[in-house]
Amino acid sequence: MLFNSLTFVVFFAVVQIAYWTLREWNARKNLLLIASYIFYGAWNPPFALLLFATTTMDYWLGARIAAAPAATRRVWLVASVTVNLSMLGFFKYGNFLLENFQWLLARVGVDYQPPHLDIFLPIGISFYTFHSLSYTLDVYRGATQPTRSLRDFLLAVSFFPQLVAGPIVRAADFLPQCDAPPAPRPGRFGWGLFLMTLGLFEKVTLADTLLAGSADRIFGYAGPLASLDAWTGVLAFAGQIFFDFSGYSTCAIGAALCLGFELKDNFRFPYGAVGMSDFWRRWHISLSTFLRDYLYFPLGGNRTGPVRGAINLVIVMFLGGLWHGAAWTFVVWGLLHGLCLAVEHALRNLYKNIEWTMTLGGQLLLSALTYLTVCFAWVFFRAADFPTAARLIRAMVGVLPGGNAILTTREIIQVACVTAGLLFAHWNLRDISIEAAVARLPRQAVIALWTVMLCAIILTQGSGNAFIYFQF
Amino acid sequence: MPSSTFNFERVIPALPWRRLTLATVLLTALATVAWEIRVRSWGYGPTLNDTDDLWAQQRDAVKPDSIVIIGDSRALYDSDLNTLERGLGQRPIQLAIVGSCAYPILANLVADEKFHGTIICSVLPAIWLAPAGPPIANSEEALKRWRKRTPAQRASHKLGMLLEERVAFLKQEDLTLQKLLLKLPIPNRADSQVPPRLPPYFQTVDPDRRTWMTAQCAEPGPLQTRVETGWIPLFTPPPPPNYMPREAFLKGVGQAIEQRFKDTATAVHKFRARGGKIVFIRFPMSGELRNLEDIATPRAGPWNRIIRESGAPGIYFADYLELASFTCPEWSHLSAPDSVEFTKRLVPHLKVALAQ
Repeated sequence: MLFNSLTFVVFFAVVQIAYWTLREWNARKNLLLIASYIFYGAWNPPFALLLFATTTMDYWLGARIAAAPAATRRVWLVASVTVNLSMLGFFKYGNFLLENFQWLLARVGVDYQPPHLDIFLPIGISFYTFHSLSYTLDVYRGATQPTRSLRDFLLAVSFFPQLVAGPIVRAADFLPQCDAPPAPRPGRFGWGLFLMTLGLFEKVTLADTLLAGSADRIFGYAGPLASLDAWTGVLAFAGQIFFDFSGYSTCAIGAALCLGFELKDNFRFPYGAVGMSDFWRRWHISLSTFLRDYLYFPLGGNRTGPVRGAINLVIVMFLGGLWHGAAWTFVVWGLLHGLCLAVEHALRNLYKNIEWTMTLGGQLLLSALTYLTVCFAWVFFRAADFPTAARLIRAMVGVLPGGNAILTTREIIQVACVTAGLLFAHWNLRDISIEAAVARLPRQAVIALWTVMLCAIILTQGSGNAFIYFQF
Repeated sequence: MPSSTFNFERVIPALPWRRLTLATVLLTALATVAWEIRVRSWGYGPTLNDTDDLWAQQRDAVKPDSIVIIGDSRALYDSDLNTLERGLGQRPIQLAIVGSCAYPILANLVADEKFHGTIICSVLPAIWLAPAGPPIANSEEALKRWRKRTPAQRASHKLGMLLEERVAFLKQEDLTLQKLLLKLPIPNRADSQVPPRLPPYFQTVDPDRRTWMTAQCAEPGPLQTRVETGWIPLFTPPPPPNYMPREAFLKGVGQAIEQRFKDTATAVHKFRARGGKIVFIRFPMSGELRNLEDIATPRAGPWNRIIRESGAPGIYFADYLELASFTCPEWSHLSAPDSVEFTKRLVPHLKVALAQ
């Protein structure tokens, strides 16, 4: 069920009414659990069984980890990690692994024709696997106590606002909220609705209507492109993926808030970042902190010396790239980010306290450089293959004279306006939260903004696409 | 025992949210009503959007012995389902798609071994033989939707129909924000390779996908002129791309067209071998569009070859005086009253063809 669908509007209204009508806390949680499985099953009912099985297994393994003596706790954790990642590997990377195995065999002269596995990717499997895995990892680390309630854990993993595209909510953050009904807070429902409207506006109006068409045409074009068109397509995608994914997260946070649950921010104006480290503190925060806490730190982080620290960064970003999709283009995207982070760390150590970097001009320059680097890496993230990426990059750097102009002037203006607005907003809001920004506005401006967003959503008439991150 | 300590609480801006919500809902409702009144004053009325979901709903309705109409927009506008039902004794299922090559649909029906009914297939040669691009994509998208529709999409479609039958501004082909932006008069770069725009459609569609041209489009006026002038660039083949050798491109297109002829004949033979019936129809066209089509795809060319190689019966409108006497107001489709009359006159020919 998509947030930007009529079914969700009806579903959410029914769940809201039923939820707040029920007085008993356990009954409310039962309702949310049933609603969450309906939400997920509405895509493909059998996959709800897979979700249930994965979650139940981690619940059981969490209890085993907590009860086991120190010598065997690790075995139970390895079991959880192995089963979760095997499940993810089979559904998401099965064909990718087979194709690469075939390629390797061909290099040594073996002609192996693997069967193409007709595997349906369960929607959101990368997200709920991490939701669930965070529980056993945290129980093992002693960061959380195992829950006695299977129902609460099932709800923590399947809670419908964040189930299929994040934020990656750790069980340790969600389970305590299941202990008691939310205390009344004035404005929670209204603010939740405002966030849902903002998220939908980002998705259906900005991402789908104003940017997606240009990005799709540029990345789908088979010929040489004019430099202006290539840049427009890449900037369009940079905006599209932000508004698409941030839109989903904002909707999820708003929907959860309407139900009395609190989810942490997943984005903090990332295109206002100064440096790649800053970017990853602002982009997909729930993933970057997951990778930091469960992968980068266990690898030793930067405590093992600058060289090993840099290697750790590259390893983490390599796996982060692979998490996004079963293709080498995603791996290159991750490696590019890893290398940039490693270089940035090295430069920071070499050139500490340089005055000009702290001036407004210096910060703006570094922020622009960060944005351009991120856009450059997006080319590999979005391109279907390396020839497409190479063609685009050649066009962007201007080594393809006589490239074709395929975008309309209107599309270029649209992308330029949205990108300018996006960068302006991110730069100016980079040090504050969305809550603080809205609180500063006059009431009339909030009403006007909210109304414009709602009207724009209605005008798009639900013709938007699925969220990009669903495929991950 | 609490699972662990949760020390995170989102900030809620200190504003009177109840009043803000009420004011916003009120203003949005007012703006929506104003927009509805405005678009009705432009001549729009409530009607269904001809979406892939509506198509998929019809595809679901195909039974082993159904009569199915496939093809392009001419089959959609020019076929009156009530008249065909009276004439053929069974209500046909409308599976034609605007701007589409129906070969993927034909292949899909032929691959469905249970289906042994009747196919009425519109052939517009320039579209039928399109090697790739939107004509093929339109059909494949509809098939993909039919195969992969989720329960949530089915529910959204049902809810959407309830609204579309009552609200005039819900027009995905004309009145979405995206389509409204297209209307901005912004000139393009001199050297840009921008695809031609689709003509504005003024139509009404019912749940059976019976499609009528609106009276506003059937009468001379700015709308009719806009639709007419849209056809010529759309039906003019695009120049070969400049990033590959012209000869190689033309050779590839030629091979794809040859393959389409072969695939069509193979599909028809296979379908007829299991007892299915199929008839090809060339629907009327007029004006400059007819001149263009007659030159680019003369009857003696693709049409005759499809009929000859497939062995299926064909009805070419120009062969029969009673079918050739219609004028398409915007050159490509019949007006609503003419579509009923045309179908009445077509039924006897269909009966003869299907008896072969």
